Amino acid sequence: MSETTWVNPDLGKTPAELFAERNQRVLDAFAMRVPDRIPINLGLSYLAAEMGGVSHAELYRDTALQARLVVDAAKRFGPDNTLGPWHDPRPSQAVGDRMTKWPGVQLPDDSSFQFNEHEFMKAEDYPAFLEDTSDWTVRTYLPRAFAELEGLALLPPLGMSAFGYYNLFNSPVLLAPPVQKAFEAINKAAVAQTAWIGEQMALNTMLIEQAGVPPIAWLAALIEAPFDFMSDTLRGMRGIFLDLRQRPAELLKAQEKVLKFQVDFAKATCAALGIPYAFIPLHRGSDGFMSIEQFEKFYWPGLESMMLQLVDAGITPVVYYEGIWDQRLEYLARLPKGKTIGYFQSSDMKRVKETAGTAMCIAGGMSNSLLRSGSASAIREATHEACEVLGKGGGYVMNTGVMELEGCDPDLVQVWCDATKEYGVYR
Amino acid sequence: MSQALIDAIAEMEDEKAVRLAGELLGGGESPLAILDDCKAGMAVVGDRFERGEYFVPELILAGEMLKQISDIVKPHLTQGGDAPKLGKVVLGTVAGDIHDIGKDIVNFMLDVNGFEVHDLGVDVSIDRFVEAVRTERPDVVALSGFLTLSYDAMRDTVAALDQAGVRSGVKIMIGGGTVDDGVRTFAGADAYGLNAMDAVNLAKGWVGAN
Repeated sequence: MSETTWVNPDLGKTPAELFAERNQRVLDAFAMRVPDRIPINLGLSYLAAEMGGVSHAELYRDTALQARLVVDAAKRFGPDNTLGPWHDPRPSQAVGDRMTKWPGVQLPDDSSFQFNEHEFMKAEDYPAFLEDTSDWTVRTYLPRAFAELEGLALLPPLGMSAFGYYNLFNSPVLLAPPVQKAFEAINKAAVAQTAWIGEQMALNTMLIEQAGVPPIAWLAALIEAPFDFMSDTLRGMRGIFLDLRQRPAELLKAQEKVLKFQVDFAKATCAALGIPYAFIPLHRGSDGFMSIEQFEKFYWPGLESMMLQLVDAGITPVVYYEGIWDQRLEYLARLPKGKTIGYFQSSDMKRVKETAGTAMCIAGGMSNSLLRSGSASAIREATHEACEVLGKGGGYVMNTGVMELEGCDPDLVQVWCDATKEYGVYR
Repeated sequence: MSQALIDAIAEMEDEKAVRLAGELLGGGESPLAILDDCKAGMAVVGDRFERGEYFVPELILAGEMLKQISDIVKPHLTQGGDAPKLGKVVLGTVAGDIHDIGKDIVNFMLDVNGFEVHDLGVDVSIDRFVEAVRTERPDVVALSGFLTLSYDAMRDTVAALDQAGVRSGVKIMIGGGTVDDGVRTFAGADAYGLNAMDAVNLAKGWVGAN
């Protein structure tokens, strides 16, 4: 079909009709069925700000404006799934979070959110972590990781709570000013997070009712591969890789701990919300960080066990395979068919389709740099090829590798979305 | 030369390597000779990384061993004696981006391959890159970035080097995250690399050391 005769198939439909069609399209792809056409997922956060002529910081500061801009962008592009700003700086500010940096807070207004790793857990903390993870976390980790929570270090060992009546003798410590300050900060963070969730619910309702665009459903229970959990917020990359060489047994034991409580958390959260998805973004298991032998010993068993336990509980793990996974795709291909979903950043998508794509719905395939500075014809060509090759037989969601459209040219994003609707039709 | 020390570093026997370095120093070995052994050990590590036998954990542990041995040996150094370098590289993660993993690996591999590396760190402003190029007069400028936001900072940094009149004297490589040839064109860099070996090969090619 030529560009001149192509008519957007979404034209003339009500938001309710569009929502129903788009939602079904995504569900079909997720289940590895063949939808009517390839669904598109758009990460509309910073791009929405850029299209609206406001800074990234302003997008966080004014959530009513944020909702309007995200809905406007969703109306324009007509994706089948979308993700607005998925987080907010206020809870982090409330507790003096030392591991995140935000536009308009620690960073210039038009910068991007960044996670700033630290070695909050030292190598010598392993015995305490393994002996009583909760106690170590509350009394040692939180005071290190959050400036406003330093007072928690004054608490008596948490196990003393099991002393029942007799532990009431210890309760005055809770009135110590640093402890009170910490409790107030936690309360403030919880209030801010709750308010934000309310604002996101309002944004989601607007997306559905005004734009007919389903918000992504899978961010409810956020968990990590056990190795990444130990790395990202505890040991940092330098620490975890030294542990891999110097403390392998302790690292594996720690992973067992964090695997168990994360799976428990995901099951409880999914049950409470009635949403059967858990989101698992992966960080250190991709090609290049560790050898296949190390991956087989330290990374994959914990992640695989996590996924299989979730699947057994009726939960679909939605996994973001960050980086390149080309040397590890056969592991993914062995996962139970249709029970997990894989979003891919920079892997060879043709190989992903041939291997992992036999076991799961795959998402990805469009390069951010093309949408930033490519030509319309190159984008149409790349989209056409992705639809033909990656979309073959269903089980595919069109997406950019990094799930975020920051800095992209809106006109080129439009070309890409339209081309997907044109070339992605299953006949 | 102590083959035992070289082997201990190469084989990731960290405790043994540090102990051997201490023993060599105590036995009268010159501090410079010990550091040369370290360099030889690190070169083996670099080779194995390049061949896909070693990965990031080994680079980090090797760096840790080198630091510990340097701490023991350097107080006893009485003379400089660095070997001539292949060339000079100014390296940094561009403005607005604080990611350092890829940059640090590139630093390690350039260093063990004989380059003098000036690492400006992360979130490096355009002015700092310009200043470093003026003062250090490097052969190569290596711009790292993980975020898609870094495309713009790479372009602006290259443009600023051009405006400052120092662009023609250097070769510029970019790398990290989703950098590809489209980003290279956009940024006006001379080349892009997908990994640390690409960085080494590009730099060697540019200084005529291949």
